[in-house]
Amino acid sequence: MRNGLAIFCGAFLVLALSWAGVLLTAHRQLTGLAQYKDPAEDTLFPEPLNGLADQGRAVYQDLGCASCHTQQVRREGLGGDIARKWGDRQSVARDYIREKTVLIGTTRFGPDLRNVGKRIPEADYFYKLLCAPEATVGGVALAHGMPSFRFLFDLHPAIAGQPSVDAVKLPGASAVPAGYELVPTLRAKALVAYLMDLKDTYEYPEAHPFSESAKGEGEHAK
Amino acid sequence: MNPPDNQRTEQLDIDASTRWPVLLLFGSALSWLLVGGLLEIFASIQFNVPAFLSECAWFTHGRLSAAAESALVYGWGMNAGLAFALWLMARLSLSTLRSGGWIMVAAVFWNSALTLGLLGIFGGANTSFELLEMPRFVTLLLLGSYLLMAVWIITTFSIRNTENVFASQWYLLGAALWFPWMYFVARTMLFTAPVHGVVQPIVDAWYVNGLYGLWFTPLALAAAYYLIPKILGQPIYDYYIAPIAFWWFAITTAFAGGARLMGGPVPAWVSTIGSVANFLVLAAVIMIGVNLLGTLAGRVGAAQKSVTLRFILLSVAAFFVAALLNLLLAFRGFAQTAQFTFIPVVRDWTIFYACFSTAMFGAAYFLLPRVTGKAWRYSSLIRIHYGATALGTIGLVAGLGWAGWHQGQMLNDASVSFDAIVNTLAPWHAFHTGALILLAFGHLAFAINFVFIACPVNSRRTPAAVIQAPPAMEGAKA
Repeated sequence: MRNGLAIFCGAFLVLALSWAGVLLTAHRQLTGLAQYKDPAEDTLFPEPLNGLADQGRAVYQDLGCASCHTQQVRREGLGGDIARKWGDRQSVARDYIREKTVLIGTTRFGPDLRNVGKRIPEADYFYKLLCAPEATVGGVALAHGMPSFRFLFDLHPAIAGQPSVDAVKLPGASAVPAGYELVPTLRAKALVAYLMDLKDTYEYPEAHPFSESAKGEGEHAK
Repeated sequence: MNPPDNQRTEQLDIDASTRWPVLLLFGSALSWLLVGGLLEIFASIQFNVPAFLSECAWFTHGRLSAAAESALVYGWGMNAGLAFALWLMARLSLSTLRSGGWIMVAAVFWNSALTLGLLGIFGGANTSFELLEMPRFVTLLLLGSYLLMAVWIITTFSIRNTENVFASQWYLLGAALWFPWMYFVARTMLFTAPVHGVVQPIVDAWYVNGLYGLWFTPLALAAAYYLIPKILGQPIYDYYIAPIAFWWFAITTAFAGGARLMGGPVPAWVSTIGSVANFLVLAAVIMIGVNLLGTLAGRVGAAQKSVTLRFILLSVAAFFVAALLNLLLAFRGFAQTAQFTFIPVVRDWTIFYACFSTAMFGAAYFLLPRVTGKAWRYSSLIRIHYGATALGTIGLVAGLGWAGWHQGQMLNDASVSFDAIVNTLAPWHAFHTGALILLAFGHLAFAINFVFIACPVNSRRTPAAVIQAPPAMEGAKA
């Protein structure tokens, strides 16, 4: 190989093939993926994120939550995601079309969050967990090993007789000093709204590609 | 001493022409290596002490780890890689490096853009896309300053004064061309005109795989292909298969990115193509292995005498380990346990640190004395650097690999609570921190030696790097 131009063109071609073959093809296949219309309910799924939850998605992104948490449930038979109750079914491409940035994550130093809104349905629990992850409720830490996100909350003097509606009540040792209250900022509220919106409950036709019952039928016929 | 022959004078001129750009790029690279290493240690400590630096949003774990990764990859990796590529291309093309001034201006822009990008991550513009965490505003600055540096790799090659084109040159040309294209594509498809839904993780996986496989690995291979035959004074074992290996390696690696998304919410063909590519790349890995190990065969003892080749041996070993880990992760049975654990982290770290960075250390020990015309100041610091690197690298890959497998088994067993997994991993995070601190000591030793060889203040000129023999004992004289 002595011809510089040939090396140059070859190297160009290699990447062009991979770009067209993987990225453009995937883009062509998935770009038309739209909401699914349930024939009985006449409703579109997945439902779009509301405004506050979409701001929360941006908070999730800028704090780098995805560096420890995934947002993808693998199918039954591939790992223990379903057994851990991280979801009732595998995640499919259609679940993600409502999000502007899709951060499915690569490491699980924290649990998967794709259906965390279904596992933990109360905003108050999320506030406590973000504020004081090591605080224990019934002997179990709220989120053992996670850093605290106390900077998402405002500590200010409480007005006697007029407590804030959304003041966070922390359990035990991590409680707020007397005469003060801890109030979530808008960023905390947005993040929690996003987390509570993370639940893929609708059963799309493509969500169960392997029919276990069909296998059973075959055995039954024998 | 004999007067140097013509070719030797020519080579001295070529080395001298690369002096200032190489010193600036390597100096910046080393600074980023120290800064990024420190950030990485802090991020690792946070796994054991979650409260560490958690009071301030700037240093929350997600941002700190993103900043550490960016500082190491774009700060240390790209600066060192470009310094090495510019020097080697000039040497192999028997042509002095022109326009060193432009390269230095571009290097200043590159490092300023990187600083802005890191401040952006800390300040809240972290994009959270792996290896693309830096905010949107740095894209053009980074791309522009990269092109201004890399274009001289190509122009130096095009005005070469040699008949033959050497294997290292293909890898250098490939890497120089592939990075800007991959970076442009990824930044455009993710930020300028964002693609829809899960195409985003596919773009990111394609880019991450490309940056590791088509930038860092080729540079490490260019170093191995050049330095092993050069120092041993042996030709490459079987030159005929070298171009086949190059093209096969390039085309298979380019398609391997999808394997990172196995089991994910993407079309199955994406990860299948990636897995198949990770199998097919083995043919190239074997051919490269035959060439490099064939050249080394029977001369490992001689190779051990050169500190450069010791680092290169480490790098070549890591190249095989990384290929093996990629292959294992292409198996569904292995991946269902190993995915999302320490193991893919170790795979990427093996490519970036154990393969690429050690190759750059080795190359630096070879090229800096030639470029500056000075000897290394402290041979003890060289030994500390090599010892820390070898011990830290082997310990980290073996230790975290084992921990990752255990982690995966626990993650897949629903009866083990997540708290229990966190507690079991705690000593391994501490081990990780310890290994990173050990490596940082090595970096510090290297940096001290670099300051002495790079600074004009200490201009003690010596013809070659000589490790002095211990002085004779007093008793022996009597």
